[in-house]
Amino acid sequence: MNTRIELTNVSKIYNGGSKQVGLSDVSLSIPSGQFAAIMGPSGSGKSTLLNLIAGLDRPTSGTVTVDGVSLGGLSEAALARYRRQRLGVVFQFFHLLNQLSVLDNILLPAQLAGMKTATARARARDLLDQLGIAEKAGEYPARLSGGERQRVAIARALVNRPAVLLADEPTGALDSRTGEQVLDLLVEVNRGGQTIVMVTHDAKLAAAYAARVVSLRDGRILDDAQMQPSSGRSVSDLMQLEIKEAGK
Amino acid sequence: MSLRYGILGLLTEEPLHGYEMKSRFEALLGRTWEVNIGQVYSTLQRLERDGLIEAAGERGDRGKLAYQVTEAGRQQLAAWLTAPETEPQDLHEALFVKLLLLRRLTKGQVDTLIARQRRVYLQRLRDLATLERQARQEGRHDLVLLIKGAVLHTEADIKWMDVLLEEFPSLESDRGGTPT
Repeated sequence: MNTRIELTNVSKIYNGGSKQVGLSDVSLSIPSGQFAAIMGPSGSGKSTLLNLIAGLDRPTSGTVTVDGVSLGGLSEAALARYRRQRLGVVFQFFHLLNQLSVLDNILLPAQLAGMKTATARARARDLLDQLGIAEKAGEYPARLSGGERQRVAIARALVNRPAVLLADEPTGALDSRTGEQVLDLLVEVNRGGQTIVMVTHDAKLAAAYAARVVSLRDGRILDDAQMQPSSGRSVSDLMQLEIKEAGK
Repeated sequence: MSLRYGILGLLTEEPLHGYEMKSRFEALLGRTWEVNIGQVYSTLQRLERDGLIEAAGERGDRGKLAYQVTEAGRQQLAAWLTAPETEPQDLHEALFVKLLLLRRLTKGQVDTLIARQRRVYLQRLRDLATLERQARQEGRHDLVLLIKGAVLHTEADIKWMDVLLEEFPSLESDRGGTPT
C-alpha cells in the first residue's frame, strides 16, 4: 500500500510568551486508503498535527510529505493549490456558506480547482446521492439539520477527489445518533478507497470507526493501535453478569 | 446482580417452580445471560428457610413444587427495590497488583503493560459499539442502555490508563515502591 501521509521526526514549537511544544519528534506514516483516528485531550497536539498535514502550519523541524509531495518545499501559493486540489477538510461546525445553495456550496471547491462545470455538477450530484441528501440540492444550509449540513460539508470536501480527507471533530456539534450516522457515511467513503484522518477527543468514536487509533499526549505519540474488526463476541462475553448466591 | 431479589420480584407476579423461575429470569435479562439452575434451587431453599417465600400448594407434575412470596418477602423486596446500590466499586485489582509487582521486579515494563491494557479497552469500545448497533437494530433498547453503561466504564478505564501512564513512573521514588 502506498503511503499517503508521512511525518518524519516532526516537532512544532510555538513561540508565544513562553515556548510551547505543539508536537515533539513525531513520526507517523498513514497508508493510502486507511481510516486513521488521531485521539487525545485538548492540548495534546491533535490540531497541530492536522494543521501540519493541511499545510496551514509549518513544522519547526522534520518533514511532512503528503501524496509524495514534501510540503516543506512548497511556497504559500503552492500550499494553497495543494489544499484546493489534494485535500478535503470537514470541520466541527460545517463552515458552509449560507448564501449559497447546497449544490453551489459543493461546486465551489471544484470551480476553484478549475474542474469543468458539467463534470463538477455530475460529481456533486453523485456525492449528494451517495450521502443521501440528493433532494436537498436546492436548499440553503440554514434550512438543514446539523446532520444534513455535515453531509453537505463531506460532499464539498470530496468533490475534488482529494488524496486525503481530514475530519476535525466531525461529530462535535451533532447529537450522538446523528454523529454515528455521519461516521457511518465516512466509513462508507473510506470503503471506496478514500484515505481519512479524523481528529477526535472521543475514544469511543475513534475505536468504533477507525481502523487505527493514534493517541497523542503532550505532543507525543502515546500509542498507535491497529484496531481489529469486531471480534463477534456476544454481550455476555463482554459484560459479566455476576449472580450472587442468596444470603448465608 | 442478586438472584435473591430477582426471584422475589418474579414470584410477586405469580407462583412459579424452579425451572420456570430460571427461564423467566433469563427472559427478564433478554436471554442474554444464562442462569444456573443449581443456584436457583439453592436460593429458593434459602428464601423459604428465611420465611420470604413458601410452597404454593402441593407438589405437581414430576414432583415440581411452586413457590409464592410471603408478606415478609414482599416487604423485603419493596425495601430493596427503592434502595440505591452501595456495593464497593469493582476495580481492576489484578491489573494494579501486576503493575505494583512489575515495578518491583523489573524496570521499564510498566508503561508497556499499561499501553497494552489501554489497547484492550480501545478494542472493547469497538466491540461494544458493534453490539450497541446490533441491539438497536433488534429493537433491544434495554440492552442498548446496559451497553452504554459498559461503554462509559470502559472510557473511564482508558482515562485511568492515561493517568497511570503519566503518574505511575513517579511512584518509583515512593517508599512503597522500594523493594525491601
